Amino acid sequence: MRDVGLVQTTVRAETATRGRGSSAGSEERAGVRVELVECERRYGVVAALDRFSLTIEPGELVALLGPSGCGKTTALRALAGLEQIDSGSVRIRDVDVTALPPHRRELGMVFQAYSLFPNMTAIDNVGFGLRLRKADAKSRRQRAGDLLDLVGLSAQSRRFPHELSGGQQQRVALARALAVAPRVLLLDEPLSALDAKVRAQLRDEIRRIQLEVGITTLFVTHDQEEALSMADRVGVMASGRLQQIGAPDEVYERPVNAFVAEFVGSVSRVPATVGRDGTVDVLGRRVPLPSPQSAFAPGATVDVLLRPEAFAVRADPCGLGVVTRRSFRGPVLHVAVAVPGQVEVVATMSATAGADIGVGTAVSVEPTGAPLFVTEPRAGVA
Amino acid sequence: MAALTLSPRGRSRAAGASSGMPAFRFGVVTRSVILVVAALYFVVPLVASGRYALEGAHGTYTLSAVTALFHDSALWSSLQLSAEIALGAGLLTLVLLTPTSVWVNLRMPKLRRLMESLTLLPLVVPVVVVVLGIYGAFPTTVVGSPVLLVFEYVVLAMPYSYRAIDSGVQALELHTLVDASRTLGASWPSTFRRVLVPNLRTSLVAAAFITIAYSLGEFAMASLLSFTTFPVQLYQIGTDQIDEATAVSVFALLVTWGLLLGLSLLGGRRRAVRGSGAPGPAGRPPVDGVGADLVAEVESVLGHGDPGVPGISHLRGGGT
Repeated sequence: MRDVGLVQTTVRAETATRGRGSSAGSEERAGVRVELVECERRYGVVAALDRFSLTIEPGELVALLGPSGCGKTTALRALAGLEQIDSGSVRIRDVDVTALPPHRRELGMVFQAYSLFPNMTAIDNVGFGLRLRKADAKSRRQRAGDLLDLVGLSAQSRRFPHELSGGQQQRVALARALAVAPRVLLLDEPLSALDAKVRAQLRDEIRRIQLEVGITTLFVTHDQEEALSMADRVGVMASGRLQQIGAPDEVYERPVNAFVAEFVGSVSRVPATVGRDGTVDVLGRRVPLPSPQSAFAPGATVDVLLRPEAFAVRADPCGLGVVTRRSFRGPVLHVAVAVPGQVEVVATMSATAGADIGVGTAVSVEPTGAPLFVTEPRAGVA
Repeated sequence: MAALTLSPRGRSRAAGASSGMPAFRFGVVTRSVILVVAALYFVVPLVASGRYALEGAHGTYTLSAVTALFHDSALWSSLQLSAEIALGAGLLTLVLLTPTSVWVNLRMPKLRRLMESLTLLPLVVPVVVVVLGIYGAFPTTVVGSPVLLVFEYVVLAMPYSYRAIDSGVQALELHTLVDASRTLGASWPSTFRRVLVPNLRTSLVAAAFITIAYSLGEFAMASLLSFTTFPVQLYQIGTDQIDEATAVSVFALLVTWGLLLGLSLLGGRRRAVRGSGAPGPAGRPPVDGVGADLVAEVESVLGHGDPGVPGISHLRGGGT
């Protein structure tokens, strides 16, 4: 799965460039454990990090996902040393680096904004970190060339940043971050300034390279698709705290709270009544409660959260729902259905099954299984 | 986006785009007229000065004033003094103001307005008041030495030099570049030297040039403090040998032009490197070489008012 050759190249080049003066051992750099322990960072009364703890296993790619202002970038910058933390500690390979300045933490970072040095060509940008480490010109060129090759830009090595497209600039930035054989790779929304197609392409490429090099990576994004498709584990953040962390399918299918359920993927929130025997009445149909959530008393009014694929929608002249929006997405069809009680549910179905459903069609809507999550009714909503 | 709307034909100069002025297209005739009028404004006095310097008795022409100039040792030592002071002031300006501007923009953006008004103060306070202040503030060893003028000129040129540096710093993606450099293993001094200074070169050259030009031409302060700098010496020559003084003035002017030309070539080379600039992050227009057009920068900064350079006008007034 991993290209061992490349890992070895990385390690070799690193031993060659660091040679003397390196405090950390260097026989196997790729894949170190990273820990943020009880990190706290406040701006006035706002907590950017609220007793935030995260462990990233060697070689793992963890994505931090959350709305803007949730503290995910602060967490990444705290790990990089670009942001001071008020309390807590940062550990890389079991060594406390909390007091180390960024340039002594041996990290590679790719930024949201284009960050290449405008006065240097692509290859000089990639070689910048090696020059700081006093690598001789020949090995520097060799290594920078290899890295540009890895990101598929060897032909553009003599170009200046302004002569490269946005996607190319971010590739060079990635090569530059990896050139110094960092212990950890930090990606701060590196794709958000790019257009959709380049973004999807680069997303796959970053993941391929990360696996090839086997480097421990922290990736910060507000794009759930990015997080779910790239990461080994996804951490969902809100208000400076980690709400849930787990494999992408775990976070998607078994959210621990309503915030995670609503933030990751799309859900419809539907009022329901808890029945006996661990069931709940949703849109006139009795479905089981999700297993860990049987704590609601029978008769209680709740909101249930359901994924679009958890509804069966059929054209039905006697149905109580009316289709308000219909959007065709190739193999699937998304429909929004207004149901009594001023509730709108969003459902997906195969395009063939929905061929006879248009805007204004009367439909019946039924949940097909246990809801994703059951929560207290939202205040102010009937 | 901004660059596109401002220069639909891609002809708009960087300076025009950066100042937010739309690119007006003048007809050839209008442009030529403006050029001729502007050229006359500069060329006529220059030619007249040149003629006056070379004029001998009874309508003849002689090089005696020019040769006398090359044998005037007092003049050369005053020029040397001025050059040393100017270089010192230029260097000190860069050393003091570059880190200041970087720091303010990076860590204390709220202080930017304060810095802008602070650096304007030397324009508001009359030179005589500054001189009086100097006598109170500096130790006598400094007050008696021409080194004093170095400090003075750094302060007096600050309204122009600080702006030149600050506009360059603001045009950079400062935070990202610094963070990138730091995470790649560069210490602060290294980041400054390898990343910031090369990318600020045009602005730094402009700031140094402005300070040097100011220092070379400043008369009032040097005269009040009794230092025989080049302009002061020029004035003294002018009181008794007006033709020689005019020759010196023309000579000084040519030297200054040479300097400007050299620097504008430097600025041009820089523009080729910076080119159209990297597309900025979302919501920001491309940097498009803001501060790259050195001459425009120097001219626009100096265009706020000619603070010093009394030499020629003084001599004119005294000689005719």
